[in-house]
Amino acid sequence: MHGRRRELIREPTVDEKAQAKQRVEKYCALNTQVMELRARKEHSEDALAATKRLLELNTELHTVWNYRREIFAHLEAWRVTEKKKAMLEQELEFLLEIIMKNIKSYWMWNHRTWVLCQLPSPSWDRELKLVAKLLAIDARNFHGWDYRRFVVSKIREASVDPAAVDRSEFLFTTEQINRDCANHSAWHNRSKLLPAILEELTEEKRQEVIGKEVDLILNAIYTDPDDQNAWLYHEWLLDVQTGADAKCALLRNKVAAIREFLELEEDSKRPLIELVDAFIAMDDLKSGQVSDSEKKECFYVLNKLKDIDSYHIGKYADTESTLQRRWTEQP
Amino acid sequence: MSEASKTVLDSDSADSSMLLVDKHVEYIQSLDKRQDEIEYWMTEHLRISGIYWGLVALSLMNKQEGLDKEKVIEYVLSCQNSDGGFGGHTNHDSHLLYTMSAVQILVMFDELERVDADKVVGYVLSLQDPVTGEVSGDSWGEKDTRFAFISLAILSFFGSIDKINVDGVVKYVQGSMNYDGGFGSEPGGESHSAQVFTCLAALAIARKLELVDRERLSRWLAERQLKSGGLNGRPQKLEDVCYSWWVLSSLKILDRVHWVDCSRLCEFILSAQDTVGGGIADRPGDMADVYHTCFGIAGLSLAGYKGFPLVHVDPVYCMPVSVVERAGLRGWIDYIPDSWKD
Repeated sequence: MHGRRRELIREPTVDEKAQAKQRVEKYCALNTQVMELRARKEHSEDALAATKRLLELNTELHTVWNYRREIFAHLEAWRVTEKKKAMLEQELEFLLEIIMKNIKSYWMWNHRTWVLCQLPSPSWDRELKLVAKLLAIDARNFHGWDYRRFVVSKIREASVDPAAVDRSEFLFTTEQINRDCANHSAWHNRSKLLPAILEELTEEKRQEVIGKEVDLILNAIYTDPDDQNAWLYHEWLLDVQTGADAKCALLRNKVAAIREFLELEEDSKRPLIELVDAFIAMDDLKSGQVSDSEKKECFYVLNKLKDIDSYHIGKYADTESTLQRRWTEQP
Repeated sequence: MSEASKTVLDSDSADSSMLLVDKHVEYIQSLDKRQDEIEYWMTEHLRISGIYWGLVALSLMNKQEGLDKEKVIEYVLSCQNSDGGFGGHTNHDSHLLYTMSAVQILVMFDELERVDADKVVGYVLSLQDPVTGEVSGDSWGEKDTRFAFISLAILSFFGSIDKINVDGVVKYVQGSMNYDGGFGSEPGGESHSAQVFTCLAALAIARKLELVDRERLSRWLAERQLKSGGLNGRPQKLEDVCYSWWVLSSLKILDRVHWVDCSRLCEFILSAQDTVGGGIADRPGDMADVYHTCFGIAGLSLAGYKGFPLVHVDPVYCMPVSVVERAGLRGWIDYIPDSWKD
């Protein structure tokens, strides 16, 4: 019952009560009818129509979706290729209607996948357009992105040039990020595509692409320094980058960007956190990378963070004691 | 809000800064009597999970007797199908989600022997792909990291974990790990706190927590706390009481509960109580439901709420610690990686 406001609930009028009663009776009658048909293993056009009426009222009835698939498989028309195709196309139309009403139903997406896989040559391109439309309405939708990855995997399977499919998906994430650099779903997808793209490249080209990633990250960070995501992506880019020196260079780059922010706003939580994390990461990579004054700065920053972000005092205290053990109690 | 409805809300209203135990017990007990409401019928397909949520909430408040044990068990048994799995309601098709709820209810009542273990175990095993090790939610084949966790959890209750290809399950979970340290619903899926919980819990049962990037994931989870004190499921999403469970149980498994402000979280959860009718909602002012009531109270228990002696909850199985101990399943704690011990 996500997001239903309580204040809208008041004592219903007599009319409303009667209406509610009628609604319950209608739903229960239809539900009972469908469950009885199922129990009798009835696999007719009429039964199919009844399941549709019920699913329009409640998309969450997985048993009824299962029943619907069973009915299809038993219908005589199912054995005639053209008729089967027409039925499946109709089913896709039906699903589209209800997906637009409730995008968050797992069962519906499962059913759509099933329908498409029954088709001799499903139009995955059409599905890709559909999902692009959905993501234009809700750019972070979980189901939408999961479905997109599924559709793309199908397109990739059938493609003569799978790497081109990856590149085009990569471009899609760039577009999404350019539209809204806080679109974490797009960043996420990008992280899944980048390694394969880099693998295809020469070392020189590879560094060029990584450089472009850094630019994109910095742009996101300048737009909203408090958003953790771009920073995390930067951290992950370190995993992608090879060689301790190259990694340290990335981190020095990050520190320089942070210093710029802190000049504008010295109490900005996220850049302060990232400053400490960058020094820790450098220290992990190569001893001697972090100077004594930088180490001192870390302790100063952690103290400051305890003041400006009291929600995470426990975390800062843990980091502080780790660093104390590491940097001040060395033999 | 109209003046009239305000009056309805305010009359009989209680102090929301405290956990309204009696009201929540009454609310949970009332759920089976709401047959004049359409929601009662529209949620029929997951009634067995509803009972599990209600039972957890009651148990954590030490009010397990609030539900009629024999009646519940009889109902649960009526949901089992010939394939060995359980449906969400009598005559509904089997699914791992509902099989999990059924088994959890029976374990909580210490009545697991009322089912034929081989049949349930057989059902779970039938859902694993012998080649890839992936586990489906039901015979139709939907894959999700939730089912990786559920399959291991159910088998552990029956002492049959060695019957499944654990490495295959672990591989699937590991493949769902992301750059932020979190986990998605499948390999390639975006990190989401609820999936993070299922993956951590699966790895805990499999004794494979060392595969987790504890630092990165803890940092991501800690950032789920918003100004209101509430937690969200993904960056830039609204806070929601149910994430008090998904995020905090994950932090508990990582031994990092103190990385969020638990007292502010408690305040947020309490502010989402329905002070008139009982129950907890997703957010303050919304309609209460049993799902959020369960995970709100479980969150309070993990957060160390001091206003009422809540029963301790196990972060892997989402049941009282005493129940998990009785089932001999608290051993996961002994397999927390050494490197996590400060």
